[in-house]
Amino acid sequence: MIRTIARKEIKLLMKEKGTFFWLLGMPILFIVLFATVFSNASSATLHVQYVDQDQSQASQQFLKTIGDTKAFQLTHDTTLTTEQQIDKIKEGKLSAMIVFPKGFGDSLKSGNQQAQIMLYHDGMSSNIIGPIEAVLQNIAGKYQEEKIANALTAAGKSQTELKQVLTPPIKVDEKQEVTSGSISMITQVVPGYTVMFAFFVITSMVRRFMKDKESGMISRLNSTPMRYMSYLIGMWVPYMLVVVVQCTILLGFGYFVYGLHLGDALAIAMIVFAIAICGTGLGLAISLIVKSENQGMAFTQLITMGGAVLGGLWFPADMLPGFLQNIGKVMPQYWAQKAMQNVMVHGAHIQDILPNLGVMLLVAVVGLALATLRFPRFMKSAIS
Amino acid sequence: MEMAIEVKGLQKGYAGKLAVQDLQFQVRKGTCFGLLGPNGAGKSTTMKILSCITTADRGSVNILGYDTATQSQEVRKIIGYVPQNITLYEKLSAYDNLLFFGEMYGVKGKALKQRIQEVLEQVGLADRTNDTVSTFSGGMMRRINIAAALLHKPKFMILDEPTVGIDPQSRNHIFDLIQSLKAEGMTIIYSTHYMEEVEALCEDVAIIDHGKVVVAGALNELLAQYGGRSIYLELEGDVQPDLTPLSQRITKQGRGFRIETDAVLDTIRRTAELCQLRGYRTSQLEVVRPSLEAVFLELTGTSLRDA
Repeated sequence: MIRTIARKEIKLLMKEKGTFFWLLGMPILFIVLFATVFSNASSATLHVQYVDQDQSQASQQFLKTIGDTKAFQLTHDTTLTTEQQIDKIKEGKLSAMIVFPKGFGDSLKSGNQQAQIMLYHDGMSSNIIGPIEAVLQNIAGKYQEEKIANALTAAGKSQTELKQVLTPPIKVDEKQEVTSGSISMITQVVPGYTVMFAFFVITSMVRRFMKDKESGMISRLNSTPMRYMSYLIGMWVPYMLVVVVQCTILLGFGYFVYGLHLGDALAIAMIVFAIAICGTGLGLAISLIVKSENQGMAFTQLITMGGAVLGGLWFPADMLPGFLQNIGKVMPQYWAQKAMQNVMVHGAHIQDILPNLGVMLLVAVVGLALATLRFPRFMKSAIS
Repeated sequence: MEMAIEVKGLQKGYAGKLAVQDLQFQVRKGTCFGLLGPNGAGKSTTMKILSCITTADRGSVNILGYDTATQSQEVRKIIGYVPQNITLYEKLSAYDNLLFFGEMYGVKGKALKQRIQEVLEQVGLADRTNDTVSTFSGGMMRRINIAAALLHKPKFMILDEPTVGIDPQSRNHIFDLIQSLKAEGMTIIYSTHYMEEVEALCEDVAIIDHGKVVVAGALNELLAQYGGRSIYLELEGDVQPDLTPLSQRITKQGRGFRIETDAVLDTIRRTAELCQLRGYRTSQLEVVRPSLEAVFLELTGTSLRDA
């Protein structure tokens, strides 16, 4: 009987076009969209306007040095006066502008007076000012080094002594630790949206249980020799299969289209299996607890969207405030995503992700226990 | 005659309100038993208890030797329940629906496939086997609804208002089907609030109201005992006749008069004579068949349609 119910459920799922859209179409759309956005993020150039009132060799040299950094692109508007351009910033039509005031070159040459550069910016664009300011400070630092070097040379210091003085006392060495595969936004986006949309299976489950209840189908089936547990298991198993197939297709899409490094396939299979049990376990619990489809949809949104943000599916969880990171660790999505990334990026195997699998299975057990406890009451309300 | 069902002292309540109370009736084997009553009378609750969907708070139901409370699995195997709602998967074909229900009753393989064809022919939808149920009319869906309960060849059919809101063609199909099932010796309990259906299909009837059996027995006996005897007279033209010599119980009914009497033939003769004598031109003069409506009215004081 379990097989009969499961087979019927699969047939119904195949007839529901919306199911394919939610479980496959949407995540693929999201993966393509975000992969495109993030892969082009590094090539995006910030445009900053400048006004050179000094028109000196020094100001031209400074502008050239900025251009060489390629941190942002300088633009020049000769049709507007400086004041008009400042007004544009005030109106929010321009984000930032660098102004070399008259006398910049002379001040720099004299060495007695501090040369000034004005950085005008819109208060709303504070996020882009940091990088611009850093570039300008960096170039100004180089001028300072040059000034010190000139002074020391004039004082008769040797090149070795000069090098000693000008070498920074601390050196930061950046080393990327990747055991296998490579880190890119794809290793964030593909597993992230795979995990996120796997939990959307709860929506389909809630809808089906509610339909069976409200149409009187459960009542009718209760007049057949069907056992209660046969119904529960028969309704559960197809959705586990759906999640397994869904995750396989989405990870396969990442692998074939974006060259996603999967790592230990068996470990990934175990994670997918754990996600399937966990997501459908929660789905069963919610389907049997809620009193209406709308209530079920609200619960589903809370779990899928909340879990996506807190679990680090949209962006790394490390970017969240500390207390939110702690809350995120309660979400099964966090453990699923971490497990996937560990296998894909750090070359982890099953034994390395056992804690992650354990947490997901624990959530599944809690969900299934709640569902089993709630099931008799659900059946009673369905037949009365 | 051997009894197929014995219902004794049945009681069931929901949220402190009794849906059925002290319900008692018997169904003879191989007959069609009508459960007649207005909406909310407790018919569906009774049907659900008989189908083992729900249990009674008190009382007992014995179906073909099995107690529904203690031997519900055995009962489920020998009954076919047709609910008031159409409970089909509308996105699946008629065949897939029947395949599902057949397997739920334990019928499998070739036997099931053959049985599906048989029941589809029985309900007159063999030509729509592979069509999606959502493309069917309401009446066709109801016929598939019944077909789904026949797959395991039940000994006892429970039909809960199976003709609600359907077209005459489907209604006739269902009536023919019930007659053929009766001819095969199946016991049927048929719940409805349409008295015409009970009169057309059932040998025995129980009229229930407010969860209690108002009266139960053979249809003919109930009609004879409570249905009232009367004749109907309709005259040509706009005449206000004086019919008092015929009976004290004369009521206006439609365009004519209903004259209640214990001596039907004698009253017809006297009515014809009176009309001739007074020059009334009759357009209709006939014996009125006793009806369950009259029985219900007689026993409850309200019309079945108004209850």
